[in-house]
Amino acid sequence: MNTWLLELWAAPAALGFVLLFNVPPRSLAVCCTLAVIGHAVRKGVMLLGGDIVLGSLLGGLVIGLLAEWWGARHHMIPTVYSIGAAIPMVPGTLMYKAVQALLGVANLASPLTSGNHAIAQQLLVEAGVNSVKASMAVMALAFGIAAPILFRPGRNR
Amino acid sequence: MENDQTQVLPVQEIMDLALMAGLYSHQSGGDTNRTSGIIRRMALALGAARADTVISSINIGVTVERNGQRETGFRKAPHMGANFTMLTAVAQVVEAVEAGRIGAAEVRRQLEEIAQHPHFYPRWLIAATVGLSCGGFAALFGGDVAAIACTTLGSGVGMALRLFLHKRHYVPFMFALASSFTAMMVTGLLLKLAHSQTPDAAMAASVLFLIPGVPFINGAADLFGTNYLNGMVRIMMGIIFVIGIAAGVSLALRIL
Repeated sequence: MNTWLLELWAAPAALGFVLLFNVPPRSLAVCCTLAVIGHAVRKGVMLLGGDIVLGSLLGGLVIGLLAEWWGARHHMIPTVYSIGAAIPMVPGTLMYKAVQALLGVANLASPLTSGNHAIAQQLLVEAGVNSVKASMAVMALAFGIAAPILFRPGRNR
Repeated sequence: MENDQTQVLPVQEIMDLALMAGLYSHQSGGDTNRTSGIIRRMALALGAARADTVISSINIGVTVERNGQRETGFRKAPHMGANFTMLTAVAQVVEAVEAGRIGAAEVRRQLEEIAQHPHFYPRWLIAATVGLSCGGFAALFGGDVAAIACTTLGSGVGMALRLFLHKRHYVPFMFALASSFTAMMVTGLLLKLAHSQTPDAAMAASVLFLIPGVPFINGAADLFGTNYLNGMVRIMMGIIFVIGIAAGVSLALRIL
C-alpha cells in the first residue's frame, strides 16, 4: 500500500513544470491527476513484469488519450495537459547513472593497465546500458503522448 | 453580415492577422503542424482563397491569395519558452473566427490582448514549486525525507538562478550549466549535513528541473508528423541543453 501511496508524489513533481509552462490555474488539478495516473500505470506495468520502456509507452499512451478526451470536452489543446503530466516519468535515475559512469571513465588513468581495463569495460557498459534504456524510455514516452494525434491523420494540418 | 465584412478585408490585413496568430502559437510552444494550421485556418476564415505557410525553427511566413491578389510576409519568431495559456487562447480565437462568431477587428483586439497577458505565476512561486517538484522526483526514486528536503532546497535555488540567467539573456547552454552545477552543489552539501540514507536519489532528482521536456516532446511530435527538419532542430536544442546539464553535473560531482 505504501508503495502505491508513493505514486501521489507524481502530482507535486508535475506541478512545478505546469506552473513553468504557464498552464491556466483551472487546469492545474487535471495535469496533476493525469501525472499520478500515468506514473501509476507505469508502476503497474513494471510490477506485472514489463520493463521501463513498455511501462513508459503505456503510461504515456494513457496520459495522451485522457488529455485528448478531456481537451475535446473543454475546448482545450491536449498538449496543455499531457506535456506537464508526462514529466514525472522522465527516467532521471538512469540518466544520472549514465553520467556518473562516464565521469568514472574520465577519471581513469591514461595508459590502460590490465586492472584498469576491466574497470573501464564495466563503466562503459554501465554508461551504455543506462543511456540506451533512458533514451528508449523517453522515446516511448514521447510516442505514447503523441499517439492519439498520430492515429487521426490530417487533423491539425 | 459577418460574411460581407470579411469579403472586403484587404489581403494584406488577412496576412497580418494570420501571421500574428502564428507568431504567438510558434513562440508559446506549438509544434509545426499546429502553427501551420493556425495560420492557414485563420487566413481562410478571414476570406483568403488560399494560404501557404513556411515554418522554420525561428521564422514563420505565409503567402495569402485571393482573386489574383497575393501578399507574402515573414516574421522572426524566436523561442520564448512554453506558455500554454497563450497557445490555448490563440487556438480559441481561431475557432471563434471559423465559427463566424467574431470579425477581423475583434480578432485583432483579442490577439493584442493575448500578447499583453502576463504570466499567471510570479517567479518566486515558480522557483519554489519547481523545487518541490524535484523533491517529488526524489520521493519517486525512493528517497527518504532528508533526501526530499535537500532536493527541494537545492533545486529551488537552481531554478531561481535559471530564471535569473534566462532574464539576462544568457544562451541556454550557459544557464543549463550554471543551474545544474548550483542545484547539485547545494543539494550535495545539504545531504552531507542531513545524513541522508539515499543520497543517489536526491542527486539524480536535483537537476531534473532542467530537462528540456517541451523541445523533446515537440521535436518528437514534429518528427512523427513528418516535419523532419524542424523536429531535428528541436531535438538538437534539447541535446545541447542536456550537454550543458551534464557538464554542470560533472563539475559538481568532481568537487563533492
